[in-house]
Amino acid sequence: MSIPAFLVTESVNALSQAALLFFLGVGLTLIFGIMRIVNFAHGTFYMLGAFIGYSAARLGGFWFALAVAPIAVGIAGMLFELGLLRRLYRRDESAFLMVTFGMALVLTDLIRLGWGPEALQVEPPGAFSGVVMLMGEPFPTYRLFLAVSGGVVALVIWQFLERTRFGLLIRATSQNAEMVHALGVDVNLVRSAVFGIGCGLAGVGGVLAAPLVTASIGMAATMIIDAFVIVIIGGMGSFPGSLLGAVLVAFVQVFGEYYLPDLALAFMYLVMLLVLVVRPGGLLGREA
Amino acid sequence: MRNLYALAVAGILLALAPLALPTYGMTLLTEALILGLLAMSLDLMVGYTRLISFGHAAAYGFGAYACGWLLLHTSLPMLAAIPIAAAMAGLIAIGVGWVCTQASGVSFSMLTLAFAQLLYAVAYKWTSVTGGSDGLAGIPRRPGPFGLHLFATRDGFYYLVLAVLLAAFLFCRALVSSPFGAVLRGVRENEAKTRALGYNTRLYKIAVVAVSYGFGALAGALYAPFAGFANTELLFWLLSGQVLIMVIVGGTGTLVGPILGAGFFLVVQHQLSNYTEAWALFFGLIFIAFVILAPEGIWGFIRTRFRRAAPETEYRRGVAGAR
Amino acid sequence: MRTRLGLTRRDIVKVGVAAGALTVPWARRAAAAEPIKIGAPLALTGPLGSVGQQLKRGCELWVKVQNAKGGLLGRPIQLLVEDTGGNPADAVRKAQEMVERDRCNIFTGITLSSEALAVVPKLDEWNAIFISSDNGDGRLTAESFVPNFFRSNQSAPMGARAVSLFLRSAPYKNFYAIGMDYAWGRNSVAVFESEMKQAKKNFVGSVFSPIGTKDFSTYITKIRQSGADACYVTMAGDDYNAFLAQAAQYQLPEKVQLLSEVIDLTVPRAVGDAAVGLISSMRYCFRLDNPKNKEFVEIWKKEYNAVPDNNEGEQWQALQFLAAAAEKAKGFDTAALRGALETTAIDDIKGHVAMRKCDHQAVQDGIVVKLGKAEGYPFPVPEIIATFPGDKIAPPCNKMTYAD
Repeated sequence: MSIPAFLVTESVNALSQAALLFFLGVGLTLIFGIMRIVNFAHGTFYMLGAFIGYSAARLGGFWFALAVAPIAVGIAGMLFELGLLRRLYRRDESAFLMVTFGMALVLTDLIRLGWGPEALQVEPPGAFSGVVMLMGEPFPTYRLFLAVSGGVVALVIWQFLERTRFGLLIRATSQNAEMVHALGVDVNLVRSAVFGIGCGLAGVGGVLAAPLVTASIGMAATMIIDAFVIVIIGGMGSFPGSLLGAVLVAFVQVFGEYYLPDLALAFMYLVMLLVLVVRPGGLLGREA
Repeated sequence: MRNLYALAVAGILLALAPLALPTYGMTLLTEALILGLLAMSLDLMVGYTRLISFGHAAAYGFGAYACGWLLLHTSLPMLAAIPIAAAMAGLIAIGVGWVCTQASGVSFSMLTLAFAQLLYAVAYKWTSVTGGSDGLAGIPRRPGPFGLHLFATRDGFYYLVLAVLLAAFLFCRALVSSPFGAVLRGVRENEAKTRALGYNTRLYKIAVVAVSYGFGALAGALYAPFAGFANTELLFWLLSGQVLIMVIVGGTGTLVGPILGAGFFLVVQHQLSNYTEAWALFFGLIFIAFVILAPEGIWGFIRTRFRRAAPETEYRRGVAGAR
Repeated sequence: MRTRLGLTRRDIVKVGVAAGALTVPWARRAAAAEPIKIGAPLALTGPLGSVGQQLKRGCELWVKVQNAKGGLLGRPIQLLVEDTGGNPADAVRKAQEMVERDRCNIFTGITLSSEALAVVPKLDEWNAIFISSDNGDGRLTAESFVPNFFRSNQSAPMGARAVSLFLRSAPYKNFYAIGMDYAWGRNSVAVFESEMKQAKKNFVGSVFSPIGTKDFSTYITKIRQSGADACYVTMAGDDYNAFLAQAAQYQLPEKVQLLSEVIDLTVPRAVGDAAVGLISSMRYCFRLDNPKNKEFVEIWKKEYNAVPDNNEGEQWQALQFLAAAAEKAKGFDTAALRGALETTAIDDIKGHVAMRKCDHQAVQDGIVVKLGKAEGYPFPVPEIIATFPGDKIAPPCNKMTYAD
């Protein structure tokens, strides 16, 4: 494979990886921005999305799953927020740590009890299950689809945050919740909605990831750390930061794995270390 | 006076444990005490200084590997290898603390995580020294010096762990009641104000990180000869999360609470997994219940129940701290 | 009445009751000493949870069938199953508890090799026998060997050997290897590399992926770029599923024949058609053609409504060894069992299998399978394409490598 061919294929690989990381990270960062909660259960919502996606796909195919699963996960997230998290806003962060950690355990085991311990297959949609010839080598169209949908969703979220009233509320609440409350807005409603949206986005990530990695109980464990890292690199609470972080980590990971596979375990953390030492708030973050 | 009374009672009960518990119970208790030391060390950072570390497993794992390596490759007795490993960790932690305290809040926590994961990666890959994914096996409880065999036996080792825990506890209690501890609490409550009072809060933070990691490594150094092996699981972020939970469940900022939290965590996990595969489910529910029902943790719960008659001279900020 | 601490008598009673309640689990009523206890500290949850579940099913069905026949030597069998989560420290703790609390002296089913390596040094102290049904690590019958350890299952070196022997007469010339970056992955690839050199084939390179890798695109690129026509894959669990699924999406199997050392039916179930064409050694295959196996498969299908998987068959065989040895020893005393096991041979689901005295490895035939679609199965199933006799695939005593 020639150098330009190699660069193109690996870059598209990296973009598809970045898309999955982005779906997971954007929800995490939105939730943190609004609620200052570090949601340890975020990876399990991602996993829930994959499993619900599996069942939904068996009923109505991939596109049906992609529509249904994120909504289901979003609702589950909102119920969790309404039922448990809302009581804890007056408390300090260790309460949230415990509750989200406990929720991660509970949800993981519920999934295991519901779907069994084995990995489950989710097939990519018929339209994207083939290959396209990229620089003379077969490249899965599904990955192109992933990269593109990552970009599309990023665009949609950006417009939503910038142009819509609710997006404005979200941005305002993340900067000064008291002021927003004083202006007569039900801040609790905003929080619940954001939590639901964040979990729903994680659910999208889960459904989209399933054809690549199968729906399995181990999905959440590695992804949650990846999500944290990219959000920290990008800046906690910063939407563009989560995009930047995802792309940066994915590219470092892909090219690093190729040239220095022995360091593959460490790349992400080295990048995070570097970024935090130079800019403690993350690349695009506000707080130090 | 009241505290010393309770401490003495606890000490006596624990000293008599080998007479009451079967051997596998003693094994569990010894491990609980070791984890208790680890949790207490984390409490110095989390409970007294509000430095939430996601990477405390690094201290534990480092202590275990260092002590294990010393016992396997040198002829140092156990009683020497353990403190050497802990001291090494404390020194290295000064550097780690310096880097991590560049940031604060969640960024600080993530930096501690980064260091722990990097250490994990190193331990994983540096097979010649750490045994890679296999870890170190066959770590001996070498007796000595002067042929002192007492601590190499099962019950003897238990008493060693108990003694170390008690000594560490007394040290930490003295530390947090001292002016140093007052500054830590100042940092916890309002760092800007403390700095305005003229304290170099960064130095204090680095110091508490070093002490905390040092004691955490001490726990790890006790673990290596206890289990006879050290593996990469000891460095994994899952353990860091579990220790943090032990501190919170036990009651942050109390020193005793985390020790109880560690014991509670270990025993409950052990017993639950004996009875059901879905133990993680119940475990998670228990944590959630704790947050709702016993916000100050186990120790806070015990204190409010049994100390109704005694006035609190110092309000401990537990999980229910008001904003 | 308040004591000086401010405690009421009622409070003290409450604490006492609570403390007592916490110790109750340890004081389980001493059951009638009659049943034979088999201890199975399994990894039922965690990354290898599905393997542990297979071993559990194997144990449970065997105990059920055996008890229906009157147990072992007239005594009913009691199976002790506890979850270790795949953690070696927990495995040791639970095994110790079974020894001391339940007076168990027979173990099986310890799932991970790392758990086995942690337990094995304690067997002597506990005076307990461990019959492995799943641990593949070569060291367990080599440098980490202890007399109370017996391996009924095919070891990892044996699996790799079977694949290598198959490849000697196969058309592939250039080999690449990818493995999970830890002890088993590295060892297996090293053994494979030396085997290829022995067979005068071309070994063009290898790469290792960290455990938990989710995206294999870079690795697939490397395999393709290597120019190999076959690739040896040493992976397990989620990583393996992800690799196969993605390799198929890149149409890698069309260019490069994928080979592996061990496979479970969980893999084709998880990745479907992506597993078609995979060639692998298999420790136990439900397709084995002998009367004992056909009978076993029928019993299994009736109980679980599925065909028995790799580890399920291996667990059955391990317990059949126990039964045969118990008959021979006329008892369950550790020393007697050990002596009997050393010289036991059975004719069972895998045909003739004989325990080797020198390193306690059961010598058995090795099979190589190819996965393909078949009538009546919703996922690709193995078809046996080669069989090698036990003495050809078993390594020399106490060794993990082969001489020829």
